[in-house]
Amino acid sequence: MLVADDNDVAQRLCKRVLEKAGYVVLIAADGLQAVDVALAQRPSMILMDVAMPGIDGLEAMRRIKEAMPTMPIVIASAHSMASDRERFLAAGADNVLSKPFRLADLVAIVGTLVKQP
Amino acid sequence: MRSWRRHPFLGSARRGRESRAHGRERDTFAKKGSCETAAGTLGSLRTFHPARGGEVLEVLPAARPRNAPKPSWTVSLVRRATPFFAIAAVYAIQVSAGAGPVLAFPLYLTVILLTALQLSRVESLATAFLAAIAILVPSVVGGDLAPALLLAIVLLVAAFAITEVVRQVRATADRAQRQSEEIAASEERLRLMLEAAMVGLALVDGEGRWIQVNERLGTILGRPQAELLQLPLEAVTAEKDRAVLNEALALLRSGDIVRWEAELSQVRGDGTRVPVAIAIGAAPGYVPGEPLLLVQESDISARKRLDGLRDCLVSVRHVIVGGLTWEQSVPQLLSSLCAYLDQDLAQFWVADPERQALRVRHFWHRDESTFEPLRNQSRAASIPLGVGLLGRVWQSGVVAAIEDLSEGGDYANVDVARVAGLKSVIAFPVVDGGAVIGVVELLAGHSRKIEDDEVTMLSTVGVEIGQFVRRSDTAQALRRSEADHRAIFERSPIGIARISGDGDLVEANPALLAMLGHDFQAMRESAWPDLLRAYDQAAARQRGAPLLAGIATGASVQVRASTGASKWLWLQLTATSIPDSNGRPEHLLVMIEDVTTVRETSDQLAEALESQRSANANLEKLDHTKTEFLSIVSHEFRTALTGIQGFSELIRDGGLEPDEVRAYGGYIFNDADRINRLIGDMLDLDRMESGRMSMRSGDVDINEVLTEAMARAGTGVTQVEFKSDLDPRLPIVAGDRDRLIQVVSNLVNNAIKYSPDGGTVTLSTRSEGGYALVSVADTGLGIPPDEIGHVFERFRRVRSGAAQSIPGTGLGLTIVKQIVEMHGGKIWVESAVGHGSAFHFTVPLAAENVTPLQRRHA
Repeated sequence: MLVADDNDVAQRLCKRVLEKAGYVVLIAADGLQAVDVALAQRPSMILMDVAMPGIDGLEAMRRIKEAMPTMPIVIASAHSMASDRERFLAAGADNVLSKPFRLADLVAIVGTLVKQP
Repeated sequence: MRSWRRHPFLGSARRGRESRAHGRERDTFAKKGSCETAAGTLGSLRTFHPARGGEVLEVLPAARPRNAPKPSWTVSLVRRATPFFAIAAVYAIQVSAGAGPVLAFPLYLTVILLTALQLSRVESLATAFLAAIAILVPSVVGGDLAPALLLAIVLLVAAFAITEVVRQVRATADRAQRQSEEIAASEERLRLMLEAAMVGLALVDGEGRWIQVNERLGTILGRPQAELLQLPLEAVTAEKDRAVLNEALALLRSGDIVRWEAELSQVRGDGTRVPVAIAIGAAPGYVPGEPLLLVQESDISARKRLDGLRDCLVSVRHVIVGGLTWEQSVPQLLSSLCAYLDQDLAQFWVADPERQALRVRHFWHRDESTFEPLRNQSRAASIPLGVGLLGRVWQSGVVAAIEDLSEGGDYANVDVARVAGLKSVIAFPVVDGGAVIGVVELLAGHSRKIEDDEVTMLSTVGVEIGQFVRRSDTAQALRRSEADHRAIFERSPIGIARISGDGDLVEANPALLAMLGHDFQAMRESAWPDLLRAYDQAAARQRGAPLLAGIATGASVQVRASTGASKWLWLQLTATSIPDSNGRPEHLLVMIEDVTTVRETSDQLAEALESQRSANANLEKLDHTKTEFLSIVSHEFRTALTGIQGFSELIRDGGLEPDEVRAYGGYIFNDADRINRLIGDMLDLDRMESGRMSMRSGDVDINEVLTEAMARAGTGVTQVEFKSDLDPRLPIVAGDRDRLIQVVSNLVNNAIKYSPDGGTVTLSTRSEGGYALVSVADTGLGIPPDEIGHVFERFRRVRSGAAQSIPGTGLGLTIVKQIVEMHGGKIWVESAVGHGSAFHFTVPLAAENVTPLQRRHA
């Protein structure tokens, strides 16, 4: 699966937790990179940050969904107001994960969308 | 000519009485010895023109023909035969008596003498012959012829002598007779002239006593001639004229003047007055001491009346053209009519066509108290059309009169009028445009017959009054209308200007002059042209036409104008064109309102609205900024917390390698530190923005600040090379040293951060225009052009390209800018992507303008 986040701490945390959970984790550091990796590697799902340089997570999600409408995408954002959650879901996110998150929540959300490898 | 026909000496019907009357008159003349001379002067009197009351005698009576009746033929025959019978009778007696011719001779002589006296000369001579034969015959028979012949011759001679004497006597007597008759005829003619004259003629003595008067004079004075002869001239003259008459008589007596003419008022037998033209002249040949004056009088009452009517009309016209209104003129009109027509009271009745009634409008009378009841009655009266005298006049439109109210008539107020002592009434219509608009009623205290010329005059007066009423009404309506409009113009609170077609100010009302604080002169010469220009400019802005080019009626513009008191006003100008009779704009009317208050209020309102709107926008923006700020801050915090929470959860759950724990602890520390800095920056910024941050102001050596900042930054960095280009003579600045170190450190740290591949960071200072100019330049990544304008905004960080991974709170440059501005300086940035950035800021130099070196030495 693909983790797109510009924050290297967040990248490392997600990679560590998800690899521990048995997933193969790809990393993208900005929106364009996320689109490229998603289209090239076709991950099972994508965990996408919003506030990223270049194109933001929502734009990246739109582009990916355009090419692969069934691609499950979870928005993981520090924008955590109630309105933000609605906004992300309306933009096509399959689920939303608010930062900071409990590690179990991350695994659970990913688990509902991706079969155990 | 009536009096002519009445004259006893004229007309064949009266001829039979002539000789008797003639004889009497002759006697009268005969008694006055000096009359003959006086009568002789009559012919020298001037002929009077009829208009002056005299009349010309066209024909004077001729001397009466003396046609005595012829004796009848038998009488004449007897008369002529008588002497012959007488001779025959004497002869018969002589023969029968046998007397001698000597005895019969006296008898024959007597017969001849009688015949000569009674009959003609021929008859006397024939008688003489017969007598001679009668004497001769007996002698022839008797034979004694000689004495008889002598006797016969004596007889014939005597007879001849007698007839001659008789003839002479007769001739003399006839001459005397003829002369006498001629004198009588002449006297008669003169008398006729005197009596038949259409002027009054008289002779008076020096004291004014009548000596002789003619009949006409008696007629004029309304007195029999006999009565007149008992009165002096003075007695028949009105009192007011006596003095002047006596004076004239005195002058005539003294011979200072020979003729005097005047117009007098004289008293008739019935006490009425009659106006006369009188001429008194000294008779020619008059001997001083025995004054004899010829008086000539003519009745000029007809002329006077005509003059009166004319004067009345003139007086009415005078009032009418006097320029007064109808109401003002009425009393004068009515009093004039009364004065000239000898009336005592006048009422003007106005026709009310709607109610079909006459109502009294004006009342005039000579005496206030007497007519009050009549006046009251009139006030209350309403006279219907066609009813009574006034109603008739109204209906018919012709003059009507009642000569004597006591004899009845259809006068409505007859009883009241009678009580008031009024006896006659004249009413005439006041006509305008063929319609009777009123009736003037004139009442007099005496019975009065109205003459034809008076009717004509009153009709004329009625028409002229009618026209006057209409003119007056029209004029009054015009005046009222004019006054109304003038009042609107004068009292309007709105300024009104009347403008000629050339744009000149013709008239400005007081409101306009007061509004602009100019007198008319200044207004016309300067203020108005300015206003006109302002109008045209304002109209042009509204795409309207200039004022004079053609007015869209009611178009208004607002212009700014200065008053005489140098105050500025907002004026609203509304122009309307007033067309002349041809429809071309003759002049313009401009309404000028002072809308300064309205305008200022609306301007203030607009300003207030605008400021409110902008405040609202600011508030919204502020609100938005706050929301955005909160969002950004929470995002920053949560991002930092994600690492802290996640890795601490991993550590807590255990099962980690010691290296992992160490690494994760490092991540946790970094993020926690970041959060701490974030909080510190935010608090700093908040304090600065709210003005709660205290600045310790002191003398700061900028070069020293830079050196310290470089030293701090340089401790952990090795890739970047520092260069400094500091102006050693830079004066000290006034500021907070710690804050300035914060500024420079921040800029230096940024320069290092954004030079990830190393490079050079150059710090320079110099003095420029009272400021210390500090620059921090790097050779790093640079700032993209679309972001360079936002670098000083909070949480704005360059996140493109290689710069995206460089950590920061996004508040550093915002704080830097705040500190610089708090020192009264400015900060700006120059940058090019790939070539680095240069941040410059200025701080004002201290007032003393000394360098740190100087200070130290001091």
